[in-house]
Amino acid sequence: MSSQSIFILGFVAFCIWYLSHQAGRLDRLHHRIDVAELALHGQLLRRGGIVAELAAVPGIDPALSVIWGQAAHEVLILPEVASPARTEVEDELTGILAMTLGDQDEVNEIRSIAHAGALLEELAQVSTRIQMSHQFHTDAVRDCLEIREQFLVRFAHLAGFAKPPARFALEDQILGTLAN
Amino acid sequence: MRIGIVCPYAWDIPGGVSAHVNDLAQALIRMGHYVSVLAPAEFDDFLPEFVVSTGKPRAVKYNGSTARLSFGPLVARKVSKWIEEGDFDVLHVHEPLSPSLSVLACWAANGPIVATWHSAMDRSRMILTLSKLAQTAMEKVSARIAVSEAARATLIKHVGGDAVVIPNGVDVSSFAKATPMFGWPGPNMSIVFLGRGDEPRKGLEILVNAYSQIRANFPQVRLLIAGPGEPDDALKKLSKADRASVTVLGMIAPVDKASVLASGTIYVAPNIGGESFGIVLLEAMASGTPVVASNLEAFDRVLDFGRAGVTFENENSVDLARVICDLLGDEAKRAALVQQGKIRANEFDWNVVAREIVNVYESIRVPGVKVEPDFTGQLIGRLGRGRITPEPRGEL
Repeated sequence: MSSQSIFILGFVAFCIWYLSHQAGRLDRLHHRIDVAELALHGQLLRRGGIVAELAAVPGIDPALSVIWGQAAHEVLILPEVASPARTEVEDELTGILAMTLGDQDEVNEIRSIAHAGALLEELAQVSTRIQMSHQFHTDAVRDCLEIREQFLVRFAHLAGFAKPPARFALEDQILGTLAN
Repeated sequence: MRIGIVCPYAWDIPGGVSAHVNDLAQALIRMGHYVSVLAPAEFDDFLPEFVVSTGKPRAVKYNGSTARLSFGPLVARKVSKWIEEGDFDVLHVHEPLSPSLSVLACWAANGPIVATWHSAMDRSRMILTLSKLAQTAMEKVSARIAVSEAARATLIKHVGGDAVVIPNGVDVSSFAKATPMFGWPGPNMSIVFLGRGDEPRKGLEILVNAYSQIRANFPQVRLLIAGPGEPDDALKKLSKADRASVTVLGMIAPVDKASVLASGTIYVAPNIGGESFGIVLLEAMASGTPVVASNLEAFDRVLDFGRAGVTFENENSVDLARVICDLLGDEAKRAALVQQGKIRANEFDWNVVAREIVNVYESIRVPGVKVEPDFTGQLIGRLGRGRITPEPRGEL
């Protein structure tokens, strides 16, 4: 074999290896996004569950109970994972929590009711986890888009039919009043 | 939860990262989690139960200093096997860009991976960051933690993306029960300095320059210097009488740190720069010693902007002398600082910090998704596919 054909063979082999390498990376990143999305979803549902429980605690005033119960219900019945509809109900719940639990004296009052104290603690914890999950999801999406936008990756259609990942818009604020 | 932690530096050589991993592992075990730590170790005989050794580290000139790291095909195989047998829910690697176990673990695993950045890195180390292989390994990391704002800033600047800042922890209870060294601080007052005496960044010279002024106001004051390195250069400016009141301990064992800190009426950190966090300030506060520190941004933050300790103008020994004299003459203020310091240190107790880290673990976990060995992933995995096959269990 001439040295030229060896060179061409080598080059082709390298191209195949490189493309499969990039495809492997992309596949892993898509998987990472899926897992991050599910993790975030799990934490959001947990928050909905905690607020629903909080609404049902005896001794919480009925107006608060209805407001919390309603917002939590909206979160829990929605089937979609990351979607504009999900963003809307979650942001709604976040806003309601900020409004109802924004005042330290009020929070202390609620905390003194039996069962409510433990639930508020769980709520604080799950809020932290939602914020982290959201950030890690955003990180994964950014890593993935970086590769998807490379010329060769687009040219060779390496992403296949996987939908381009999107950042999941979410208000995530932590209520300082819940800290001990 | 089953947690696998990877420490890239030698376990039995004192260092910030291995101390962090040790404290974290113990806090997680206290919380009821299963923890296995993978680390290089010089001697396998004295390892805690939760540590799995990858053998003797090799000394490598890396980034200007000698680091003890672990690498090579045999080590890579041990890493794979540890991951295979650990059946972890979360893999937590530390200092993932050092060419050692952490990056190997990233290559060898798939699933929920957390990485903690410890140091603020400089440009030379970034060569590795920019290498494609390291970057690909980093893509597997689902969650990043930085131990300080400085570490986070380097990460954002050079690697991209963001990180959650979770500071180092302090083992408050062990510092709180420390007793002062025999005869210290004694009937008279004393000042403690901890750190390399021959490294200008640690600022011993600033303290020495202020010392004669302090002695003029409080003739009975003594100075205690602990840490590796000869402080003679800095001390030779002192008069005979002043020099006689200085005690130099030299390098101290980590277990003695608490009692050295407790031996001071005041602890002084005159560092002139290069500090990204300032854990020793918290340790002094936990030992019940009031803290005086230069007004570096990191120190200001740890001292809660003056509430938990006093700061002086960086590199200004006149200001340092003034601040120390104020404090030596004001017992009520010292008592208040001790109290505030203890409250502040408790906010950084390992039990609190470990709970934050568990929040990170939980925020990337999905039921049913575990850490799995990855034999086909990266370049090295592909080349060494034949070599890195899992072996029968129970040999590691």
